[in-house]
Amino acid sequence: MTAVLATFRAAVLEARANRRAFWTQLAAMALNDVVWVIFWSLFFAKVGVVRGWDRSRVLLLLAILTTGGGVVLGLLSNARRIGQLATDGGIDAALALPVRPLAYLLVRRVEAVNFGDGLFGLGLFVIACHPTPGRALVYLLGSAAGAVVLASFLVLVGSITFFTRRGEAGDLGFQAIILLASYPVDIFSGATKVLLYTAIPAAFVAAVPARLVDHLDLSGVATLAGVAALFATGAATVFSLGLRRYTSSSLWTRA
Amino acid sequence: MTRRWLPVAVASAARRMSRDRAALTVAFGFYAVVATVISTLWRTAANAHGGSIGGYSGAQLTWYLYFSEAAVTALNPRQIELTGDDIASGAVAVDLLRPASVLGVRVATELGRSLPRLAGCTAIGVALAVLTGGPVPAAAGLLLALPSLVLAVACNLVAQHAFAGAAFWIRDARSTWFLYQKLVFLLGAMLLPLQLLPGWLHTLAAWLPFVAMAYAPARLASGHVEAQLLALQGFWFLVLVTAAVAVFSAGERRLQVVGG
Repeated sequence: MTAVLATFRAAVLEARANRRAFWTQLAAMALNDVVWVIFWSLFFAKVGVVRGWDRSRVLLLLAILTTGGGVVLGLLSNARRIGQLATDGGIDAALALPVRPLAYLLVRRVEAVNFGDGLFGLGLFVIACHPTPGRALVYLLGSAAGAVVLASFLVLVGSITFFTRRGEAGDLGFQAIILLASYPVDIFSGATKVLLYTAIPAAFVAAVPARLVDHLDLSGVATLAGVAALFATGAATVFSLGLRRYTSSSLWTRA
Repeated sequence: MTRRWLPVAVASAARRMSRDRAALTVAFGFYAVVATVISTLWRTAANAHGGSIGGYSGAQLTWYLYFSEAAVTALNPRQIELTGDDIASGAVAVDLLRPASVLGVRVATELGRSLPRLAGCTAIGVALAVLTGGPVPAAAGLLLALPSLVLAVACNLVAQHAFAGAAFWIRDARSTWFLYQKLVFLLGAMLLPLQLLPGWLHTLAAWLPFVAMAYAPARLASGHVEAQLLALQGFWFLVLVTAAVAVFSAGERRLQVVGG
């Protein structure tokens, strides 16, 4: 655990080494997120309410998604690169160390630009989501649970590369879950909606936590926690099984 | 190298891209998901509000969004970052050794790489639009939308190179691709038609080149047979080429001075 924390600390210091670039990237991403606020404001100004979703609910969804996404893509940046690391031989460096490979890989790289997402999400919640101590607590815990689901899903689809030797599933999975999580889940129906609660658990990344912030209920909390635990266990298991098929390379610097 | 090599650069890049099945699979899969999600959103909104919004029916919005997404998804979204990195790192100096325009070869190569993606996305988009939105609103509009898509991609590529050319001066154009992309999303009317923007924003967007990059082909495909949109794209293409040539010419002179 100490080694993993030390690795994480080194990764954070590495990301902050060039402070000017760090803050520029952070600001650019936050500005990028503001555009989505503009889009949703324009959308709901035109259409009012769509299947129970209005502007304030979607902004809450956006706040949770950017907070959780900022944590995963910023602090656990390698979660989305497992497939690439598997094909490039980038896991060699982790195998030579006395740490759990997955834990080491996840904290090894910090992406400064996605800190902007996290800060934006926090700011959006404070400004536009009617924060109270109770709502803030559910928002933080919900964002954390959503982050676990997102990171686990990314590791899971990335680990498919160990078996197929191709990285398309990981790339597509990343694009799909981020995109689907950023829209109100109730605009979908039928098989697509089922998909969002099962194979591509986008609903649990932001929509379900957002619902809990507005209407807290114990069964919803238990479901979200259970899904997060299930995906985390599944991701660790698939990664471990995949690692047995991993073939080494002479590259040492990609992790 | 003379200008006759530009079609060769386009064709060879297109051939290489066609063989990269992994990249095409990801691009087509991403396009199918993103275009389906955004068109579902707008179609649901239209159906919930009497069947139309801003003069567009649910079916027209479906066709609009499949085409606006195709025009943008066909390109590498991080082209500004890649070109900017080549300039900032000095890698572009190798291009200067060729007896051809650096900008011309780069744009031609990227255009070639985009064409297989554009063709695939358009075919998928037409199939999905028929499936989810119904038959094409106007066959003439669809026919005009096809050359319009190519013009949209060309305008976008040239504009991205003009943006990336800033790296000759500021050395780091990486962050700007986020902002550029969002300008195309909103002012280029990729996420919503111009007619759904507030009046002042509609007027502003109509005067900017981003409308040539997504709005024009999407508007045509949604059943609005307005051939003048092709002329508008041609106009913006010439303006953007002039701007990009000016940026690269000035930048290349500066790069030679810096590089000795």
